[in-house]
Amino acid sequence: MLTVDAIDTYYGEFQALEGVSLKVEKGQTVIVVGPNGAGKSTLLKTILGLQKARTGSIKFQDEEISGLAPHKVVERGISMVPEGGRVFPELSVQDNLRVGSYNPVARPNAQRQMEQIFSLFPILSDRKRQAAGSLSGGERQMLAIARSLMSCPKLIMLDEPSLGLAPLVVNMVFDFIQQMKKEGYAILLVEQNANKALKVADYAYLVESGKLVYEGDRDSFDKNPYIKTAYLGL
Amino acid sequence: MLEELLMAFINGILLGGVLALLAFGLNLIFGVVKIIHMAYGQFVMLGFYFIYYFHTAWHMPLLVAMGAGIVVMGLLGMLVQLLIINPLLNAPRLNQLLALASLIIVLENLAQVIWGADYRGIPISMPIIQFGDIFIRSSYLLAFLGAIATLGILYLFLHKTYFGLAIRSVAQDVEIAKGMGINPKVIYYITLAAGGALTGVVAAFFIPIYTVHPHFGASFTLMAFVIVVFGGMGNLMGGFISAFIIGVVTSITAVLTSTEVADILALVMFILMMMVRPQGILGAKA
Repeated sequence: MLTVDAIDTYYGEFQALEGVSLKVEKGQTVIVVGPNGAGKSTLLKTILGLQKARTGSIKFQDEEISGLAPHKVVERGISMVPEGGRVFPELSVQDNLRVGSYNPVARPNAQRQMEQIFSLFPILSDRKRQAAGSLSGGERQMLAIARSLMSCPKLIMLDEPSLGLAPLVVNMVFDFIQQMKKEGYAILLVEQNANKALKVADYAYLVESGKLVYEGDRDSFDKNPYIKTAYLGL
Repeated sequence: MLEELLMAFINGILLGGVLALLAFGLNLIFGVVKIIHMAYGQFVMLGFYFIYYFHTAWHMPLLVAMGAGIVVMGLLGMLVQLLIINPLLNAPRLNQLLALASLIIVLENLAQVIWGADYRGIPISMPIIQFGDIFIRSSYLLAFLGAIATLGILYLFLHKTYFGLAIRSVAQDVEIAKGMGINPKVIYYITLAAGGALTGVVAAFFIPIYTVHPHFGASFTLMAFVIVVFGGMGNLMGGFISAFIIGVVTSITAVLTSTEVADILALVMFILMMMVRPQGILGAKA
């Protein structure tokens, strides 16, 4: 479904990604783990078109999307949950969701989708007229996830959804990712919390300093001695 | 004397409504595109000239000429986005400011070349309304009511349409807005078009009140800028409130002393605000 092939991404002269390749198949949950600053967020931004890859190709459903503007990528069915549950703080919860359905593909279904989301997240329904900035960290993360569902995506990319959240809330977020997985969404999840992320993963990549250093299914990740000590704390 | 002051107060409120419209446009552009449209008052001057020209040279009925003037100003707003703002979007703020400030000179000289330096206007006599000892010019009242109605329409546009929603989200976080599938360039054009059309609306309300000349816009650029900074840059509500404060203060000062002193006072208030509370009355602390 998504094939990233040998992309290089730069911030000015600084190279953030070096020859990174990965694949997400239909309905699959793929995780990218690695330390802070390894280029995990840059990877998602490059796929979405917020950053340009200098070389390499990104194909989504057999179509080259590398170099497309973000709104074109979103239209094709990729949505992103930004780091830290970045919502529009001064917009109401309802308006935040509505922005998610801005693209012309999603707009006709916006009303139905919003009702579905409200039944899924009753807390958002209770607060729909409240400014998003007044929500708690966990609620904001929920809203950011719900907002990404509004665009009728085929692939959802999540950038560090557990960052800065209390352990109980982190569990809630991962329960929800599990649920999205069951509903058949393809998921590309970027996380520092490798323990949690591996539990939902079908396939995993390890990124360090902008380079892919290891990939494999959940079992091979669990068993790899380096990953065990460096990332799983076992 | 009391009647005079009361009348000055009322005139200040009425004028404040129109200034609020101007401040709204300047604020909207700043909030969304993060750019200060230094030639905003000159846009009002151009709008005035266009309406005048459409009415006198092309013999359009006045209301049609006003409508055409509003449309032309909207298009000119988009042209400014295309020719000046787009190429400078990632330029240092000073460069953007200087480019738009030089637009002042371009527009004023262009107006002088096309229409000459004479004062021009469309003579319309509108009745004066009397309440006891209070006299109100109906042209001011009409401008005020029209400005409030326009602000209402803008509010609905911003809060009830997808474009309005996109404008508000780009104003808050352009990167996330992009991630939601919004093309900010399109939103910038819409914002500049709306801001341009607003100057056309203001010009239309000014037709029965003023005559126009190439330097007509300068005082409005300054006024709008003072109001917007006073209320907190990018804060629409702050701009709305401070438009009335500035309107009333200058109007009453003008009656007590002279219009020149009133202008000085407005600028002194502006400077004091910069020193005491640079974020404006409703602006958040940076």
